[in-house]
Amino acid sequence: MSVEDLKKTHLYQYHSEHGKVIEFAGFAMPVWYEGIIAEHMAVREGCGIFDTCHMGRTWVKGPDAGRFLNYLVTNDVSRLGDGESLYTVMCNPSGGIIDDLIVYRFGEDRYWVVYNASNREKDFKWFKKNCKDFDVRLEDVSDEVAMMAVQGPKAQEVLQGLTETDLSQVGRFNIVRLKVAGVEAMAARTGYTGEDGFEVFIPGTTPSEPDKALRVWNALLEAGATPCGLGARDSLRLEAGLWLYGNDMDESTNPLEAGLGWTVKLKKPGYFIGMKAIQQAKESGVKKRLVGLALEERGIPRHGYPVANEEGEEIGVVTSGGLSPILGKGIALAYVPTAYRKRGTPLQVIIRGRPVKGKVVKHRPFYDETKYGWKRSLQ
Amino acid sequence: MSEEYKVEEGLYYTKEHEWARKLDDGLVEVGVDDYAQSQLHEIVYVELPEVGAEVKQLEAIGALESVKAVSDFYCPVGGEVVEVNEALLDSPELINNDPYGEGWIARIKPSQLEEDLANLMDAEAYREYLKTL
Repeated sequence: MSVEDLKKTHLYQYHSEHGKVIEFAGFAMPVWYEGIIAEHMAVREGCGIFDTCHMGRTWVKGPDAGRFLNYLVTNDVSRLGDGESLYTVMCNPSGGIIDDLIVYRFGEDRYWVVYNASNREKDFKWFKKNCKDFDVRLEDVSDEVAMMAVQGPKAQEVLQGLTETDLSQVGRFNIVRLKVAGVEAMAARTGYTGEDGFEVFIPGTTPSEPDKALRVWNALLEAGATPCGLGARDSLRLEAGLWLYGNDMDESTNPLEAGLGWTVKLKKPGYFIGMKAIQQAKESGVKKRLVGLALEERGIPRHGYPVANEEGEEIGVVTSGGLSPILGKGIALAYVPTAYRKRGTPLQVIIRGRPVKGKVVKHRPFYDETKYGWKRSLQ
Repeated sequence: MSEEYKVEEGLYYTKEHEWARKLDDGLVEVGVDDYAQSQLHEIVYVELPEVGAEVKQLEAIGALESVKAVSDFYCPVGGEVVEVNEALLDSPELINNDPYGEGWIARIKPSQLEEDLANLMDAEAYREYLKTL
């Protein structure tokens, strides 16, 4: 597929002039500008910005908005107050994960839902299909709202320079309306890097009329933020132990297998899609489990590589893998039988036929939380 | 293709962007070219062939990895691997910095050099080939 056939985001012009552009989920997206490792470190140590305009964004409005979302997702939307959000998955009736998403509440009849670029059509169809018994209106505004992530220990400082709203008052997973570089926007203290930071939404701008989005992007660059591509986005989320839909979970995995049991609230008010299947899976126990692996020998694990036990018997598979720039070694997320899930369990990754030793480690995140990640500021 | 890649004179090239250089002692030095290092961008890991291994022309004998991708290394000539560039284990970026020099990958004792070289491109033919990509 050539670049001309791909969808473009609001910021495409910038990417084509400054970055290496690749196809991702049907979009022409930057994989890097200067280099993945430099961009990765900018986010761990300073402030990086990402174009996330390719993601799915839908307004759920109407008197039943909260009740509808609580029926749709596994987490408990009813515990959200205005300006609060939560991370959740939504499942099919067999408990398979359709997608992971963030649900933000603006009011009891007004919720903002953000989901994966690769699932934009699938998710919106799923919302539509399941909303018939509820008094709600769904507005897919993915192309009419720009979105960018501002991430890193200096994210607040950088964004604060462009707004009069006091960002120190915006807690994690909170969302506020504000002006950024003079442009009406919403900013949420969420992200996909393991670091502190914000996701900024800019309504009233489209890929063919990108002025507002560009104004914010350029102001962030001028304030000292490093532009980052999808390469660093992936290496950062892996190092933080965060799931990538389609790799680490899909409709053949349930939230308990994926280590997402904490997003499932079986006791919340009302029924939700997949509840019965997940309850059953919980009672009978799951057979496989997503774990983190760190290699102790040279090598880089990749998606699809087999995982073997100490005896060399293949028991699992790597779903995401790469080199951790912080740890300087190969790390992976992998599915293994539950018996192998304990930290310290020795396992091997088969890299091009060669077994490479590693073990199960703490993986959310892989790095030392006193040195990196959003929690370090709390130490 | 708007970018310009350095193609060194006197070397032999594969379509997969490896090069071979005849050395004075009868050995052949092999590596990847400027185009390959540029496409991979930041090389973070190199898997080297084993010394003593018998290899066929265009057999995959190692791999180069960037943060995002893996690329096989196909040996441009057949023969025996007599030396590998172990400096690449700790400094894989040598390939990015100097693909035709310090970034060499292995030295091969060729088994049928002239036949193998006949299957490769010289610098001029390779430059033409790059234009078609």
